[in-house]
Amino acid sequence: MRIWLNDQPLSLVPGMKVRQALIQANLIQEIEKGAKVLDEWGNEVGLDGALEDGMRYVLKSAE
Amino acid sequence: MKKTFFLFKIFSALSLLLAAVSWAGEPVQLRILYLNDFHGFAEPYQPAGSPEKLGGIASLAEEVNRLRKERPTLLLAGGDMIQGNPWANLFEGKSSIEVMNAMDFSAMVLGNHEFDFGQEVLKKRIRETRFPVLAANVQGMSDIKPYVLKEVSGLKIAIIGLITEETPITTHPKNVMGLVFSPIIDSAQKVLRELGDRPDLVIVLSHLGLPTDRRLAQAVKGIQLIVGGHTHTRIESPMKVDGTLIVQAWEHAKVLGVLDLTVQDRKVIQYEGKLTVIRPDKIRPEPSVAEIVNRFQKQTAAILDEVIGEAQVDLQGKGSRSQETNLGNLIADILREETQADVAMTNGGGIRADILKGLIRMKDILSVLPFSNHPVVLKVNGHELKSIFEYGLTGPDGSGGGFPQVSGIRLTYNPAAPEGQRIKDFQVGGIPLDPNAWYTLATNDFLVAGGDGYAVLKNIMEKNEGASIPDHRVILFDLGREIGDLVTEYIKEKKQISASLEGRIQKEY
Repeated sequence: MRIWLNDQPLSLVPGMKVRQALIQANLIQEIEKGAKVLDEWGNEVGLDGALEDGMRYVLKSAE
Repeated sequence: MKKTFFLFKIFSALSLLLAAVSWAGEPVQLRILYLNDFHGFAEPYQPAGSPEKLGGIASLAEEVNRLRKERPTLLLAGGDMIQGNPWANLFEGKSSIEVMNAMDFSAMVLGNHEFDFGQEVLKKRIRETRFPVLAANVQGMSDIKPYVLKEVSGLKIAIIGLITEETPITTHPKNVMGLVFSPIIDSAQKVLRELGDRPDLVIVLSHLGLPTDRRLAQAVKGIQLIVGGHTHTRIESPMKVDGTLIVQAWEHAKVLGVLDLTVQDRKVIQYEGKLTVIRPDKIRPEPSVAEIVNRFQKQTAAILDEVIGEAQVDLQGKGSRSQETNLGNLIADILREETQADVAMTNGGGIRADILKGLIRMKDILSVLPFSNHPVVLKVNGHELKSIFEYGLTGPDGSGGGFPQVSGIRLTYNPAAPEGQRIKDFQVGGIPLDPNAWYTLATNDFLVAGGDGYAVLKNIMEKNEGASIPDHRVILFDLGREIGDLVTEYIKEKKQISASLEGRIQKEY
């Protein structure tokens, strides 16, 4: 399964979640600082949210 | 007499006229309350990076009760309600169902994690519910209904359940044995044909995820509303796709979805929706739900304190970041045995405590393995296996969070040699590694995602895309159980636990 996080492609096992995408992108530590993950429609998603092939996400830093 | 008959005829005509006006459809107001992906997070908690505590199912229940009084209401659950937090897991979801019964849910769709305790437990849970449990695209379990018809203020409402077709790959295969997960578009269309003209409103209660909800809305006509889950999406205001409203209420009872509809002539003519944030310091807990939460919380504490076995020696885990430990060996052995893999490895940095000689309690396992890592089994060739361990031993003196604790492997390495050339001798099951042979490797999802820098593992996934031989590099990805669960079950079974250092990974300068 391939998804995009901040325009970076990530290859993940089907069934993996937002959390594992952040781990792979080495961005998981940003969550502790208040960053949020948004889907391509601008909705916040939980770290245990399911991913789907082709989805695009952005990590939005805390304001 | 003539006058009486005339009045009777007028009266009959007026009645027919009134009936005709009713049939033509007065607008009906309806409130839909919804939550999804509760995962047993019964108590409020402070999410990572958040300045405040959110959630608490008892506070959410209080808000439900308040909103219910204002207008006719349905309360819907978008799946993944019974598995996740220890508050739910330790009781195999019984606690969640008891709370949901107390809250008088109207219907629930199955989520993929509902299968994680196995079909027999799921059937038990469904039989305990006082509401229908839905999944129109699952065949093979008679306790599940495809849809339910509700009547609210004269409005006939069909609620159809749909669950992600990916369920079989996100739980242990034994949990879905004998079940068929049909394509969702076909299943939705089949139910709609069966329903015909009966409903005034069709709601799909979905555990498909937002992208699939959107595709469903585009592909299937006749659905006015999709109440979703699975992607843990915080949809603040309803989305509209090809005339279908789509909503989802984030996760973990941190918000309650509130959607007010006005329905007339089988159309939603007006709607207003939002997510109400559940701030436990501002909403008092509903007493009957609070009682259930507290009762199971007390039982959780008691269960965690239960003795599950006895360590015959000190099981040392804290040194696992830099060297072989007997506890690291034990955990890797359990992982290999439970998954029946050729070899197993886990990252030393994930082992956070020792277990001293003496009684072992369940909470000790949580201290040792505090991270929610799930077992994954991959098919790798010998060359890849060596690369994995070359990386794992690259920290200073071969140490680091990624230092591997292993089973089924013996290797010697020279920490002073150049990167990628450190391993001198590598045996699998007592036989020298064959770079061209295929092996099954049990590990955890954190490492497979590339955690602790294990790019070599994630690169296997990248290479897999488009690879033809061998197919199916991922043999198992068990999202329903954690490595800690495997260790707990092992200790409960064996009772007397011992482990030793065996020189599985040796330095040789």
